[in-house]
Amino acid sequence: MAVRITRPGKNTLVIDTPVMPAAGVFGFGDQYRDLLKIDKLGAVVTNPVSYAARSPASGVRIVPLAAGVLVHNGLPNPGLRKVISQNRATWERLPVPLIVHVIVNNVEEVTKSIRLLDEQEAVAGLELGLSEEMSAAEVQWYVQAATEQTEKPILVRLPFGVDMEYVHAAIDAGADSLVVCAPPRGTARDRAGRLVTGRLYGPMIKPLALRMVGQLARMVNVPVIGAGGIHSPEDGRDFLEAGAVAVQVDSVVWVDPKMLEIIARDLGGLVLTQPSGALPDEWFPGMGETQRGEAGHDDTTRKRS
Amino acid sequence: MRETQAIIERVSRANDTHQHVHLTVDESLTQLRAGQSLLARTTQTWDPYLREQWWPVSVSSGGIVVEQPATARVEPGQVVSLFGVIGQPYRYRRTLRNVLLIAHNTAPTPLIMAIPQLLSNTVSVTLLLLGAAKDYGTQHLPAELEIIQGEDDLQWPGRVTTVGWADQVFAVVDDDDELAHFAALWALFRELRADIPANYLFGVFRPALPCGIGACGSCIIRTKGDQTLVCGSGPAIDLTTVSL
Repeated sequence: MAVRITRPGKNTLVIDTPVMPAAGVFGFGDQYRDLLKIDKLGAVVTNPVSYAARSPASGVRIVPLAAGVLVHNGLPNPGLRKVISQNRATWERLPVPLIVHVIVNNVEEVTKSIRLLDEQEAVAGLELGLSEEMSAAEVQWYVQAATEQTEKPILVRLPFGVDMEYVHAAIDAGADSLVVCAPPRGTARDRAGRLVTGRLYGPMIKPLALRMVGQLARMVNVPVIGAGGIHSPEDGRDFLEAGAVAVQVDSVVWVDPKMLEIIARDLGGLVLTQPSGALPDEWFPGMGETQRGEAGHDDTTRKRS
Repeated sequence: MRETQAIIERVSRANDTHQHVHLTVDESLTQLRAGQSLLARTTQTWDPYLREQWWPVSVSSGGIVVEQPATARVEPGQVVSLFGVIGQPYRYRRTLRNVLLIAHNTAPTPLIMAIPQLLSNTVSVTLLLLGAAKDYGTQHLPAELEIIQGEDDLQWPGRVTTVGWADQVFAVVDDDDELAHFAALWALFRELRADIPANYLFGVFRPALPCGIGACGSCIIRTKGDQTLVCGSGPAIDLTTVSL
């Protein structure tokens, strides 16, 4: 399977499986290497990174919600140069394309970040994280500033609920694809009764994001990557049916990392069949390839291509 | 880091507020040491959403025992998914003779596993329970352990002696705004000691851990000139290195 997730052109980005982790859940490289098979994913999207280091948010950063969680971590990172130096070797070893998510905060930093990332051969694409507080003019300004610095494909992650003027500003400025959408922001009380504002994760986000994907996919001429609340292969397929070319999976990776691989295998056409009557710990993704012989269960798993 | 499954064999009452959950676990988890923890998922539903951090209080070849509030709903025979091992073991000085363990407005659960190990190595151990930590019943703890019951406002009898006598201190505080509580503890130690050397006063951090693997960045604390992941380098962080 080959899935083109950016506009056609010299450096269009083609991935084998239409599933990747969303920015902010997977770290900067291969932290999850022991918990899932990264080579079954379509790509790896890094945590958000800024040119200068960012400190973590102070105070409460996690507020558990009914069937979800609010995260307010301040997008901490040690700065782009340090991220590159710490992860370059890992990035070069990754078996799938690497997309680096760049925090868009000011045009000078964005320009410097994109220039630096343009020099990194291991980086296949760049994802710009836009803020809902930006005007359409600012969006155009930032995206154009990025596209002028590199020939690598630029993915633009849209905030939840932005209007068409905002979307067209990104496309007109050269966005090669749209990631729809960033986790919505919300406010909730922590255990001490304080109000905390942050990003919302959980299955309840899916209907919101799915609607936005469905609307945008019909109205724009660039590939749309769906993201938000995907917790199962069925969720992922819903996004593809709504018009997305690929999906990004977020917080379920924290809770059940194997689910990312299961979704990737399912949407990538590599479905494993759980043997009838097997206990949960007798079956896991990848068993057919890695341990079937050792376990002596030659006929228990099948891979469909 | 691995994801494994465990079976709850038995649930026993440790004291009025806490229960001990006896688990049969994957052999790899029996290497777990004091300071390290697990992330558990007890349900296939999404509520609760995040994994719970489980602190072992004893480990044997047959399994582990974790301590939970008595209100936690778990049953013998239940299968749970575990991520682990999370974090690093407590780092003791080679010449350790006396250790002070402090629990302030929280149960001392993350410290309990260290007690028998230290006592068996002829280290004197004092457990100081401050504020709401005094509600934690200690009848199940070893008789050789010295226990001091203090007050809410970081007051206890013989403060200067206790602090001066300890070679190392490990403290847990209310996990709501840990940094502020550790800052108060730091200020107290500055008052009670002429200097606070490195590797002396450790805060045992317990932020919520969405991933436990260093991917989400939610447990980062600012340390001098750097950022430290509690799930990777913690839970015990030398407070001389922390930007409080």
